[in-house]
Amino acid sequence: MKIFSALIVAGIIAAGASAASAHHSAAPFDLGTQKTISGTVKQVDWTNPHTWVWIDVPNDKNGVDTWGFEGMSPNYLGRRGWTKSTLKPGDKISIVYRPLRDGSHGGMFVSAQRPSGEVLRMTGEPVD
Amino acid sequence: MRFLVLLAFAVIHPVAIAQKAATKAPTAADWAALGKLPDFTGVWEISRGGGGGRGAAGARGAAPAGPALTPEYAARRDALRANAPEDKETANCLPAGMPAIMGQPYPMEFLLTPGKVTIVIEAYTQVRHIYTDGRPLPEDPDLKFHGTSIGHWEGDTLVVETIGFSPLTQLAPGVPHSGNMRIVERFRLTGPDTMSIETTITDPKALTAPYTTNINLARHRNWTIAEYICEENNRNFVDEKGKAGVILNNPGALPQKKD
Repeated sequence: MKIFSALIVAGIIAAGASAASAHHSAAPFDLGTQKTISGTVKQVDWTNPHTWVWIDVPNDKNGVDTWGFEGMSPNYLGRRGWTKSTLKPGDKISIVYRPLRDGSHGGMFVSAQRPSGEVLRMTGEPVD
Repeated sequence: MRFLVLLAFAVIHPVAIAQKAATKAPTAADWAALGKLPDFTGVWEISRGGGGGRGAAGARGAAPAGPALTPEYAARRDALRANAPEDKETANCLPAGMPAIMGQPYPMEFLLTPGKVTIVIEAYTQVRHIYTDGRPLPEDPDLKFHGTSIGHWEGDTLVVETIGFSPLTQLAPGVPHSGNMRIVERFRLTGPDTMSIETTITDPKALTAPYTTNINLARHRNWTIAEYICEENNRNFVDEKGKAGVILNNPGALPQKKD
């Protein structure tokens, strides 16, 4: 909890884009827009070159759509307070993201918030 | 005739075939001499503080002033921007190459052994081999992502010269280099756990003046280098037209690119 609080402050300036772009072009994402979406974690890919958090979001057909969010790598996040089980299937979260320009169900993970109010950020100063 | 030429080349440039020749076995004194060098051991990562920025290796708008390009290379840079604004080969998991590989948001580790400095780079699971045994640079090196490097110590500064870069690497973000690009890096400790790397790029065809940038590193004694397999779950791609995209299918398994 303490770590994540620190990340809240440190992360804002750094903005996911600079470090995330180390791997690839950010062109598919609308970096100038942030949206928020709520759902239930379905799956976490704790993988390189990016983590992917998949959440099920209720749709208007009484079903769910699965949305995917690209985050920083496990190497990067693992040195900033995250572990592979920080987010687990079944967790309720709302995710702040930069949407894909083509409108498909996904985006770049900026931060997430749990119902408890705890905020998880993707960037911040490294923790020794 | 060709054999004679090769033979002559080998005589003039014995180092050019050094990979095949046996290297002198290190002695106990060689190992002991390493203890007198600055302590580069451990795992280092670029630090945001200190004003050094990410320099030549940085991904985006890093250097206060960009490289001073010749008209020919300024035109080539502009053409790259105009034709393939989204193009970035790293999206397809090619490693960044020199100099960008030194500016990744991942750590690196320095290993000193007699006659050699090895840099283990976490990003893209890369290694740089820097020979400090006095050999010269090759006359006609193969072109590689990290080029071919030799190094020597000037006091407490490790000076590394590198030539012979793959055309898939860039002088700076979005800037191509010529076959004559040469990189000189000066590594030195600036404090108990801080290091600076001053990187100077010369390229008579591409640059009108040497291009120098600085990188500041912080040592993290408790860290270890982690695995980084870019192909593990790469959902980013750049197609043949330079258009970048993301693959959203198959959560939890290898993404399946649709044609």
